[in-house]
Amino acid sequence: MTALKPVAVITGASSGIGAALARVFAANGHDLAVVGRRQPLLNALADDIAAHGKNRPLVIPIDLTRVDSPVRIGHELGARGLEAAYIVNNAGYGLVGRAAELDRSEQLAMIDLNVRALTDLSLRFIDSLARRRGGILNVASISAFLPGPGMALYHATKSYVVSFSEALHTELAPLGIRVTALCPGPVPTEFHGRAGIDAKKLPRLLTRSAEWVAQQGYDGLMRNKRVVVPGWGNKLLRFVVCAAPRRILLGATDRTMRGRALPQRWPKRR
Amino acid sequence: MTARPVVLITGASSGIGAALARVFAAHGHDLALVALPDPQLDVLADQIAAAARVRPITLPFDLTQYDVGARIAERLAAHGAEPAFVVNCAGFGLVGAAAELDPAEQLAMVDLNVRALTDLSLRFVDSLKRHRGGLLNVASVSAFLPGPGMAVYNATKTFVLSFSEALHRELKPGVRVTALCSGPVPTRFQTRAGIRAALPRALACSPEFVAQEAFAGLMAGQRLVVPGAGNKILRHLLPLIPRVVLLPGKLWAMRFAMRQPAQRAPTFFRRVLR
Repeated sequence: MTALKPVAVITGASSGIGAALARVFAANGHDLAVVGRRQPLLNALADDIAAHGKNRPLVIPIDLTRVDSPVRIGHELGARGLEAAYIVNNAGYGLVGRAAELDRSEQLAMIDLNVRALTDLSLRFIDSLARRRGGILNVASISAFLPGPGMALYHATKSYVVSFSEALHTELAPLGIRVTALCPGPVPTEFHGRAGIDAKKLPRLLTRSAEWVAQQGYDGLMRNKRVVVPGWGNKLLRFVVCAAPRRILLGATDRTMRGRALPQRWPKRR
Repeated sequence: MTARPVVLITGASSGIGAALARVFAAHGHDLALVALPDPQLDVLADQIAAAARVRPITLPFDLTQYDVGARIAERLAAHGAEPAFVVNCAGFGLVGAAAELDPAEQLAMVDLNVRALTDLSLRFVDSLKRHRGGLLNVASVSAFLPGPGMAVYNATKTFVLSFSEALHRELKPGVRVTALCSGPVPTRFQTRAGIRAALPRALACSPEFVAQEAFAGLMAGQRLVVPGAGNKILRHLLPLIPRVVLLPGKLWAMRFAMRQPAQRAPTFFRRVLR
C-alpha cells in the first residue's frame, strides 16, 4: 500500500477568509483540499494556486449543511490517496434580524453548518491529524464573546465554536494536535451580504482584510495558540465586553445590529 | 375559538423536567409533556391528573428527529392547545475525550441540546406573545467555561446561554426568557453522562429546589437563574481563573467524576494526566 499524502482540508474556501486561508496554507507548502458549494470559484482558486507553482488543490464541491457531507469528504480524500493533516473549519454564515422574525429553517441550517458540520469534521479525522502532528483551525468570531440580540443564533453558534475549540485544545495537546479558535472582528467579505449587514457601515477601527486575518490565523495555529483575536481593536473589545454589565451590553448590541442592518432585513417592531 | 394555553415541557419524564412539570401544575398551569417513550411519563401525567384539573397532554417523541418541532405543533393543535410557556429541559451530556466518545452520539447531543432547543424556542413565539408567557431554557453552570473531558456538552450549554440572553432582549417586554444554569443535580443525567463519583456537596441541589428557583425566576422575568449559593459563587469565580489553570483543572475534575473505586479511568485520561 502506498503511503497517503497529507493535505490541509479547508471548508468555505470559495471566497473570503476561506480563500485567503487556502492561499496562506499553499504559500507555506501545504497541499490542499478545498471544500465549498460553488465549484467554479473553487476551480478558479485551485487554478490560481497551481499557477503559483504549487500542487493543484483537490476541489470538493459539497453543501456542508447536509448531514452526510463530512462522510463524503472522507471518501473523497481516501479515493485520492490523501489524508487530513489540518482541518480548517471556515464555512459558516450569519443572519441579522430578530430571531423570531427570520426564516426558521435558514436559522436551523446555520446550526447544521456552524455547529454540527464543524463538530463532525473536527472529530472525524483525529487519527490522521495525530499521525501528521497537524491541527484544527476553527473560525469563530468576536461575536463569540457576547450574546447577540439582533443576531442571536450567529453569536450563539460562535460561542459554541470557541468553547468547543478551547476544550479540544486541552484534550488533544497530548496527541500533538494543535487546536486554535480564530476570532476575527468584521472582515469585508461576502459574509455581510448574506447576513444582511450594510458593508459600508463596518467600524473602521475593528475591520481587517481577509488576507491579514488568514495570516494571523495560520501563524496562531502553527504556534498552537488557543485563541487568536486579530487586531488590537478587537483584542481590546474582547476585554471590554467581558467587563461590561450584561444589561448595557445587550442593549448596545441590539442597537448596533439595527444600525448596521440593510433596511429590508429589519422590519419595524410591532 | 381560542386555543387552550399550555406549558410545553421537554425532557419531562424525570429529573429537573419532571420537577418543573410539578411546579407548573401546582401553580395551575395545564401541561404538555414531551419525552422519549417511557412509562414514567404516563405515571407522572397520572399523578398530576390526580391533583390538578386536567391531565397533561403526553407527547412521546424523540427530539433528535429533525421534523419533531412540526409534529409537536400538529399534536398540540389537534388537542386544541397552544403553548403559553415553552420549557426546553431535554438534553444530555457525555463525559470522556471527544475524540474517543462515539461521534454519532455527540452529534445527536448537538441535535437535541442545540437544534431542537432552537426550533422549539422560535416555533411558538407568536403564541407565547398572545398569552404573555415565557421561555425557560435549561443550560448549566457548564455554560460558563469550556469543558475538556466534556467538550461538546459544555459548548452546547454555552450556546444555550448566549442564545437565551439574546432572545431575552429581543422578546422583551412581551415574552419572558430565562436561562437556567444549575450546578450538579442528582438525576438520570449522571448515569447517561457516565458520571460515577458523588456530586460535590457545596454545589449539588435537588431537582425540586432547582425547579422552584427556575419557576420563580421565569415569572419574575429574570435573564439568568443560577440556583444555590455555591454555584452563584462559582459563576463569578470562573472568569477570574486563568485558562491555563482552569482547563487542565476541568479535565482533572471530569476524570475524577468518571472514576469508581474499583475501576480505573479510561486510557485517554491516564495518558493525559500521567
